[in-house]
Amino acid sequence: MSEAAVNIDNLNVHFGGLHAVRDAHFSVRPGECYGIVGESGSGKSTILRAISGLNPTWTGTIEINGIQQTPHRPKSFYRTVQMVFQDPYSSLHPRHTIDRTLSEPISIFRLDRAEERVRSALERVGLRPSFRFRYPHQLSGGQRQRVAIARALILEPSILLLDEPTSALDVSIQAEVLNLLKELLVSSGLTMVLVSHNLAVVAHMCQRVAVMNGGSIVEETTADALRDGRVREDYTAQLLAATRSYDRAAARGLDPSD
Amino acid sequence: MSSSTARPPLLEIANLNVQFHSRVETVHAVRGLSFTLGRERLGIVGESGSGKSLTGRAILDLVPLPGRVSADRMTFMGQDLLAMSAKQRGALRGAHMSMVMQDPKFSLNPVMTVGRQIAEAYRAHSKMSGRQAEEHALHALESVRIRDPRRVYNLYPHEVSGGMGQRIMIAMVLAAEPELLIADEPTSALDVTVQMQVLAILDDLVKERGMGLIFISHDLPLVGAFCDRVIVLYSGQVMETLEASELAQAKHPYTQGLLNCMPDLNRRDDALPVLKRDKAWLA
Amino acid sequence: MTALRAYLLTDDAQSRMQSRLGQAYRRWLVLRGNPLAMVGLFIVITLLLVAAFAPLVATHDPIEQNLAHRLQPMSAEYWLGTDALGRDIFSRIVYGSRVTLFIVLAVVVTVGPVGLLIGATAGYFGGWVDTLLMRITDVFLAFPRLILALALVSALGSGLENAILAIALTAWPPYARVARAETMVVRKSDYIAAARMQGASAFRIILGHVTPMCVPSAIVRSALDMAGIILTAAGLGFLGLGAQPPLPEWGAMVATGREQVFDQWWVAAFPGLAICICALGFNLLGDGLRDVLDAR
Repeated sequence: MSEAAVNIDNLNVHFGGLHAVRDAHFSVRPGECYGIVGESGSGKSTILRAISGLNPTWTGTIEINGIQQTPHRPKSFYRTVQMVFQDPYSSLHPRHTIDRTLSEPISIFRLDRAEERVRSALERVGLRPSFRFRYPHQLSGGQRQRVAIARALILEPSILLLDEPTSALDVSIQAEVLNLLKELLVSSGLTMVLVSHNLAVVAHMCQRVAVMNGGSIVEETTADALRDGRVREDYTAQLLAATRSYDRAAARGLDPSD
Repeated sequence: MSSSTARPPLLEIANLNVQFHSRVETVHAVRGLSFTLGRERLGIVGESGSGKSLTGRAILDLVPLPGRVSADRMTFMGQDLLAMSAKQRGALRGAHMSMVMQDPKFSLNPVMTVGRQIAEAYRAHSKMSGRQAEEHALHALESVRIRDPRRVYNLYPHEVSGGMGQRIMIAMVLAAEPELLIADEPTSALDVTVQMQVLAILDDLVKERGMGLIFISHDLPLVGAFCDRVIVLYSGQVMETLEASELAQAKHPYTQGLLNCMPDLNRRDDALPVLKRDKAWLA
Repeated sequence: MTALRAYLLTDDAQSRMQSRLGQAYRRWLVLRGNPLAMVGLFIVITLLLVAAFAPLVATHDPIEQNLAHRLQPMSAEYWLGTDALGRDIFSRIVYGSRVTLFIVLAVVVTVGPVGLLIGATAGYFGGWVDTLLMRITDVFLAFPRLILALALVSALGSGLENAILAIALTAWPPYARVARAETMVVRKSDYIAAARMQGASAFRIILGHVTPMCVPSAIVRSALDMAGIILTAAGLGFLGLGAQPPLPEWGAMVATGREQVFDQWWVAAFPGLAICICALGFNLLGDGLRDVLDAR
C-alpha cells in the first residue's frame, strides 16, 4: 500500500469551551477523492481548516505526504495543498480582476511563464480567455467558482481541499462544477478531500465517505454502501432517508430534538 | 365558514409582471405569470434569478423599490388586489395572507422572547388579555411540535436553533389564521433532517386549517414530494405547470434538465447531464 | 464616440489597461448620475482652476497694501471690498485658494495612507500589535486637535510647513480607527483566507487585499475632514503659528476680519464663504465617490 496523501490521527479541535472535532482519524490515498459528510456544526469544515493551516488551534496528528505538520505552515506548504471555498461570492476579492487573482500566486512564488500559466489555468476550468480581465461582479456564480478552482490549481498542488464547493450554486451549475472536478480528479491525479452536507454530491464524487455528527466521525463507509442503504449507524440511516426525499412517514419518524 | 360550491378561488393571478427600471437597463424579472390557487399546496420552483421570490412578494405587495408590479388581474378571495391602497394591502397581509422566509434570524426581534412575540401577534389580530395571548402562544408552540413550550416561550431568538426558529416563525404566522401562506425557501437554510420535520409541521397545519400554501423553492424533487401542483419558472417565465405526482413525466426540457442534473443516490454516473438552456423557451 | 464607449463598456476586455479604463468609465457613469456629486466636482474643479490661474483671475496684487482704501465696501474696483490694510479681498481669496489647497492636499495625502496602514495592520494582526498601535492612536485622539497642533508647532517653530506637519500628525487617528474597524470585518472573509492559502505574506495581504477595501471610507472621511483641516490651519494662522501674515490664507483672513465683523462684515464673510463652498464641494464629491467606490 502506498503512503497516504493525507493522514489524520487523533485530531481534536477546541473553540473556547466547544469541542468541535473529537478524535478524528482517517487517511486519504493519493489520487482519491475522500468525502466528509455531515450537517452544520458537525465539525466537517473545521477538519478541513485544520488541514489547510487556516485554523492553527488543533491537537493531534496531521500528515501530508508523510510529513508531520505543525499548526503554522511554511510558504512551500501551499504548493502542495490548496483549497476551494464554499461561497464564490465571498472567496474572490471584489476589487481584483480575474487576471490579478490568478497572477497573485505566480508572483508570490516568483514562477516563470506567468502569462502562459494564467491562460492555461482559465482554459483548464473551461473559461474563455475573454473572462480574464473581468471583475468578479461581472461573472455568474458558476463562473466565479471556476475561477476559484483555477486559482487553486495554478500552483499545481497535489492535494485539493473542497469546502462545500457547490452548495452556494444552483443545481444546474452544480452539475457543471462537479463534472469539472471529476474530470480533474481523473485526468490530473489530484487527491481531493470533499466536505459537503449533501450525501448525493459526496456519493457522486467519492468512493470512501466519512459521516460526521457532533464533532465525531460516526461511520466510515463507501458510496456503494450508501447507495445500497447498507449503513451501520442510525444517524447515517436518518441522513440517508432525509436525502432521498420528503416522505411523510419518514418525516414522522424524525423526532424534533429540542 | 360555510363551504358553498360557488366559492371563488383563493387567489387568481393573470399576466403578472415585475420590472426593475434603472438608469442603465430594465430588468423584466417576472413575465406574464398566471395561475389560480385553491386551498392546495402549490410549488413555485426555479433557479436563482427565476423570479420565484418576487412572485411571492408581488402577491404580498412587498416588492422592493424600484420594482414595479403590473397584472391584468389579481384577486384574493374575490377581492381585487390591484384596486386596493397600500394600507389595505398591508392590513390584508397581516390578517389573511402571511409569509415565512428563509432565515428566521432576520424575521424575529432579537431583544424580545419568542413567546412574547407570538403572544403579541395574537393580540394584534384579535382582542384578548395578556394571559389569554400567552395561552394561545403556548398552544401555538405546541402545535408546531415544540415539546416544552413553557421553556421555549422564555427563550430569546439567538438561543434557539435554526430549525426551532423556523417552527417559531410558523407558529407566529399562524396566529393570524391566514387563508394563504407563502413560504419562501422555508427550509433551505436548515439541515436535511430538520428540514423534514419543519415540512411535516407545515404539511399538517395546511391540511388541518384548510389554508392555501405557495411553497417557493429551488429544490424540484422536494417540491414534487411536498406539493400538489408545481409551476416551473425560468427567467421569469412559466416553463411548465404540472401535477406534482407527474413530475417524473415532465415534458419541458428545462424541467427534465433540472431533474437530471442533480446527483442521485440511486444512480451512478461518471458525468452529470448538463442543462442546456435554449433561448426559444423565452418566446 | 460609440466605438470608444463600446470599447470601454465591454465585458470582454482584452488587456489590463482596457479593463482598468472600463472600470473607471463605469464609475464615471455612476458619478455622472448623481447631481449633487457633480456639483461637488464642479466646485472642486473650479477651485483647482482658480488656484492654477490665480494671476489671471485676480484683479489686484494680494499683498499690496493701500491704506487710503482700507475697509472699502464692495465696488467695481474692489469686487469684494478691501480689508483693514486696504488689500483687495477678492484677489486675496483667489490667491488664498493656492494656500488652502496646498495645506489640505498635503495633509490628506500624508494622513490617508499612514492612517490606513496603521489601522489595517492593527486590525489584521490583532493581539499585542493591535493593542500597541491603538493605544498610541488613543493618545493622539485624547487631545483636542488644535491644542496638540499648537504644542507641536511651538516645539517645531511656526510656519506653513510645520503647521501642515502638525495638522497631519493630529489628523491620522480617526483614519486608523475606521480602517481598523473595517479590517476586522474584512479579515474574516473568505478572500483573505484564500490569499493566505496562496502563501501571501501578511504584508502583501494588508497592502494588496485589505487596504483596497478600506479606501472608500478613507476617501469619504478625508472629504469630510477637509473643512476641519482648513479651520485648524486657520486657527494656527490666527495665533501666528501657521501661515505667516502677508500670505493670503482663508482661515487667517477670517480671523483677522473678526474685529470688523459688525461694521465691515465682508472682510470676514467672504473668506468664510470661500471656506464653506470649498468644504461643501469636497463633501459632496466625497459622498458621490463613496457610492461609486463601494464594491458591488
